[in-house]
Amino acid sequence: MSSFFGRLKSGAAPASPATGHPVAKKDPNAPEPTPLEKLLANAGPLRGDGSDKFFGFENFGSTCYCNSVVQCLYYSVPFREQVINFPARSAPETLERPQSLPRINTNLQNGPQSALSPTGRNSLSSPTVRTPGKPATTPGAPGQPPKPEDNKDSPEYKKKQALAAGPVLTMDYENSKSYGMSESLFTSLKDIFEAVIANRSRMGVVSPHKFLEILRRDNEMFRTPMHQDAHEFLNLLLNEVVENVETFSKSRITEVGGTEQNGVVAPATNNNTNTGWVHELFEGTLTSETRCLTCENTSQRDEAFLDLSVDLEQHSSVTSCLRKFSEEEMLCERNKFHCDNCGGLQEAEKRMKIKRLPKILALHLKRFKYTEDLQRLQKLFHRVVYPYYLRLFNTTDDAEDPDRLYELYAVVVHIGGGPYHGHYVSIIKTQDRGWLLFDDEMVEPVDKAYVRNFFGGENALACAYVLFYQETTEEAMMKEQEADAREAAAKQASELNPEAVAVGATTPKTNGAMNGVGHAHHLSTAQTPTIEEEDQFASLNHAATAPALNPNEHAHPVEHVSTNIPVLGAKKSNAGLGLFGKKNKAEEKERKAAEKELEAQAKQKRKEMEQQRRNNYKRQEEELQAALAASKETAAEENKKRGTEDTSAAPGTPRDANGVGSLSKASGLSRFRHSSMSLKGKPKFWGSKDKGDGNGDEAAGNGEDPKGHGLGRKKSVFKF
Amino acid sequence: MFVLPPPPRYPVGGYPGAPPGQLIETNNSISHPTGPEYQLVVGEGTYVLRDDLHLATPPPHPSEAPVHNPNPLATTVSPPTQGTKLSLVALAPRQPSSTLLQRLDTKNSTWSQVPPIAEHESNSHTSDTDSQGVNGFVSAPLDGLRTPVFGADNAALNVVNSKASKDPSKRNKPKNNIVKSNSSFVSRVIPHEALTKRLQEHNVNGLYAFANINRALQWLDLTSPTKEEHLTKILFTKAHALCHDINQVTRGPNHLDIVMGFSTGDIIWYEPMSQKYSRLNKNGIINPTAVSDIRWIPNSENLFMASHMDGSLVVYDKEKEDAAFVPEDQTPDEGMSDMERKTRLTVKKSVQSKNQKANPVSYWQISSSKINAFEFSPDRRHFAVVSEDGSFRIIDFLKEKLLHHYMSYYGGMMCVCWSPDGRYIVTGGQDDLVSIWSLEDRILVARCQGHNSWVTGVQFDPWRCDERSYRIGSVGEDTRLLLWDFSVGMLHRPRAASLRPRNSMASTNLNMQRTRTESSAGRMRSNSNLTSGSALDDDEVVHPVEPRARTAILPPVLTKAVDEHPLTWLAFEEDCIITSCKNGHIRTWDRPKEGSSTDDSGRTRSQTSSNAGIS
Repeated sequence: MSSFFGRLKSGAAPASPATGHPVAKKDPNAPEPTPLEKLLANAGPLRGDGSDKFFGFENFGSTCYCNSVVQCLYYSVPFREQVINFPARSAPETLERPQSLPRINTNLQNGPQSALSPTGRNSLSSPTVRTPGKPATTPGAPGQPPKPEDNKDSPEYKKKQALAAGPVLTMDYENSKSYGMSESLFTSLKDIFEAVIANRSRMGVVSPHKFLEILRRDNEMFRTPMHQDAHEFLNLLLNEVVENVETFSKSRITEVGGTEQNGVVAPATNNNTNTGWVHELFEGTLTSETRCLTCENTSQRDEAFLDLSVDLEQHSSVTSCLRKFSEEEMLCERNKFHCDNCGGLQEAEKRMKIKRLPKILALHLKRFKYTEDLQRLQKLFHRVVYPYYLRLFNTTDDAEDPDRLYELYAVVVHIGGGPYHGHYVSIIKTQDRGWLLFDDEMVEPVDKAYVRNFFGGENALACAYVLFYQETTEEAMMKEQEADAREAAAKQASELNPEAVAVGATTPKTNGAMNGVGHAHHLSTAQTPTIEEEDQFASLNHAATAPALNPNEHAHPVEHVSTNIPVLGAKKSNAGLGLFGKKNKAEEKERKAAEKELEAQAKQKRKEMEQQRRNNYKRQEEELQAALAASKETAAEENKKRGTEDTSAAPGTPRDANGVGSLSKASGLSRFRHSSMSLKGKPKFWGSKDKGDGNGDEAAGNGEDPKGHGLGRKKSVFKF
Repeated sequence: MFVLPPPPRYPVGGYPGAPPGQLIETNNSISHPTGPEYQLVVGEGTYVLRDDLHLATPPPHPSEAPVHNPNPLATTVSPPTQGTKLSLVALAPRQPSSTLLQRLDTKNSTWSQVPPIAEHESNSHTSDTDSQGVNGFVSAPLDGLRTPVFGADNAALNVVNSKASKDPSKRNKPKNNIVKSNSSFVSRVIPHEALTKRLQEHNVNGLYAFANINRALQWLDLTSPTKEEHLTKILFTKAHALCHDINQVTRGPNHLDIVMGFSTGDIIWYEPMSQKYSRLNKNGIINPTAVSDIRWIPNSENLFMASHMDGSLVVYDKEKEDAAFVPEDQTPDEGMSDMERKTRLTVKKSVQSKNQKANPVSYWQISSSKINAFEFSPDRRHFAVVSEDGSFRIIDFLKEKLLHHYMSYYGGMMCVCWSPDGRYIVTGGQDDLVSIWSLEDRILVARCQGHNSWVTGVQFDPWRCDERSYRIGSVGEDTRLLLWDFSVGMLHRPRAASLRPRNSMASTNLNMQRTRTESSAGRMRSNSNLTSGSALDDDEVVHPVEPRARTAILPPVLTKAVDEHPLTWLAFEEDCIITSCKNGHIRTWDRPKEGSSTDDSGRTRSQTSSNAGIS
């Protein structure tokens, strides 16, 4: 397979490993590279860890809640790493040379792919693969003409362009078997991450069909095409991941029990088998101290939380919301406290403090509040400011590292007047590309200061809804500030446009060369999020059908892509520069030259990479053989023990995961998942939220009632 | 006299494309709300709201009508703007409020007898410090002659200066008439119809104020019975004045020197009596970034300093022409350790430079991120700068040297103020804290917790400060005014134990614990706590963040929401507290009447209303 791959690539002439990607890159439609393309114009070689991938997510009609949250998780570096590494496959290699990661994935993809009919299963490497399949479905060929008459600055236009440019990763397959897991939200999330990382393009669009399919299958409340609550989704997703991972490892333990392989390999691989990683990342511990006013006895209870939901006040800060969260609360009247010491219900004082600080602090601003009079949820537009850096004041006295420094790295923004409609986008700080706005299919670099546009307030439709803070250090903070400064300085040196520089200090990171590009600020005149075009998809779960249904925008580009592959293939790393060079704009000439050089370099690099990849592949294959042998053994054992699960892909065995995926006998995934996940069932996590809210619970709530769908942030709102 | 200013030239209905329903208001209004919610009850008595002056927000200039973009995600960068801030001045030579503090018996205070700053200086250098006696620092504010003048040793600068000020009684005015200006920078100037008369009627003890609101700058007479009517309103075409300052040295019945810094980077020197102005850093020729704060250099007639949003501090001479700026002596940045870089003040042009024909006089790169505010110390030798990156620096500007570099608990720092005696500095920031720093001890003295949002303005109340205790006021985005009483005595108590008795045990254990875990654990973790013990090191310039467990927490003596909008500024005057907000409300809070004062310490002597002259 790989050879096939390789050939294709080399065949693509100038093309490189990037094969598919270069493809369309706007060349037909877009007169100008998008800001993102400009930002990535002189990027170096692809990294194996996915940190330099910037994929939009297709919106299938009100699935922005999902897109925005998944994006945030993708750019939660440790989370992404864990997802990729979790069933500990190929761990050693992965660790040693991340470069080989994509390779692995390719194999992976190819594995299932080969097994599958070409039609439906375009895998991660879709561009290449898809080439044959897709064109048929996308005859329209409006790739070039479809220049929508829209305003080019409108998000709609940009989204279409993004879809058109592709590559579009149609995630309608799943690799759970190769992971040795049963199909779940986790595996499909992993599929997405793997696909994005494996793809040779830096930009593109993910169509998370399978993911949504599973989500909807298992969670009634997300079945409607209605607007959903992003925080509920986040919580559900994290809980699901926890559960999937735990179930998996439990079954693994019981099955493999004494197997040497497991015993040895698993621990050896960076605690990938450690199922607690979600907890480690997101979970913190709250201590509720309750002091009985009668006997003065203080009792403590610890609760875990995956995120904190805080009540909002007009003109406040996140800091203050968190402090309020931990303020003393009187338990009296109907809410009395049962004191074990003096026995019976007593008045008491209760306060919640944070005992263990999470590595990633997900803060949910409770903007949707149930109003009694209106009998429904209302959006609070309070102005709540959030700093780029944060520490927690409400820690217990014995908390470890109570002064831990957090940095803001992702914001989920809700746009709209109420809880039942609107749009979600996320603004995320990427590892080395500064802040980006992820609006479904569209990805656009933004200024650092842009992050502060979503405090809320009187006329602000768009307000921050979930804030992601991650643990950091002062050193890291300083370094970043210095880096920002250098960039600003460089920028200032190169362009003396006063206005641009005015914000210079806080500009996004652009790569020296193309200054200012980073914030080519486009006036988008479009109105808020509208996504009608995609509505047809609402009910679709299967990607396979998607192309057919998807009339124009989506499909054409694809076609275009496929046809162009050989020709345009070259530009992979230059992200469309070449294409736009064709426009022959006078100003672009220089760039062209530079670009050629770059291209040459890139070619060289690609060649090297390819060579490397081949070597890797060879090695992999060898390993695979070995692994297969090993896994067969284990599989045999396992089968004895329990026929249901495909555990043949021992987490510890390196490469085999892939190979095994396709080969293993994996019984059709045992579905031990709850068919619909009620969060109630997980008091463990939900409990935690409670002071804040109680709201978590609701999350599970009502799938059936789209309106009510558990947005209730009030304790009383349980719509079960 | 009550005739309204001429109607705007554009239709009152709004500019084309204006968001419908937006009322365009062109006149200031004043209201006198009363009731308990307009009173501040503190130990010394009750402050009562005198009035609420609402400045009219000017509509956008017709030529600059903003493209209304309904997309809430629009990535357009809007130019920086700033809530209303005031620059206040009284023409009469007032006894500086700080004189109340300048007692000769400071020697008897609990403090070290050598004033902190003098102490530093004597350590390191001799020339300037000689003039400072034991109390030299303290008395410096009273006696400008003894304070070295910025740039005094530079002959190149002095030449120009002496020329400029041949006759000290006759002030130089800027060149251009602002009323008749056809500059595209200034849109329109609206003097009050009875301006001359009102100027004559002005009580010399009364306060003039200059206040920015959106693209307008208004000159107000706060003691006039018709204070809501501006004396002059200047509308700029698109630039917003973000900051302004009045030269206290040159003020006089016929002369006021005001400098304003704009969102475009431009600076205007304006003399309101003659309606003359001149423009500096035109089109950002020297520094193209917005001016976030601007202040006259103490004791200087001509020099002022502006902080730009790219982290540079530039000293300009109001009399000089601009010249494109090329950094003069720049030590290469490469090869320096992080520490060195941090501890160094990047001097791009020294005040000692011989090339002083044109602006800038000096140019320092303080930090990489936006400077939010700075203020000169009462001894006129130092200034404190706070930036968006959370740093707070104390700089000896005479020697162009960075003395100290502290960090906020987290988040940017937004405001800074020196205590009248120069011993303490308070800062406010995005950690919702007011932090009190001691220069003398080079430590964080206390964190004041009580704001519900970012702290945007902080001031000492000189009328309620003495050598032992200090009154601090702060305002924030939470619309609240908080007052804090901070007394020197408490510093001598072990901080953690005295102020947080409940936690003291735990916190000591904690520290040990933490150190242990940190040394052993391989996890990424802030090591802020590791180094904090070394805060007293003499040579230390960069100071680590103090962990919470070891810092005193000071609760407020008053917390009150005093506006509906986030506050941006406050000032203490002899007879009142003045606050202003983002939307242009200026509220004046009368101090408690003397009779009703419950304060028996005698600190309310300032209540003499003799020179208040307030309506």
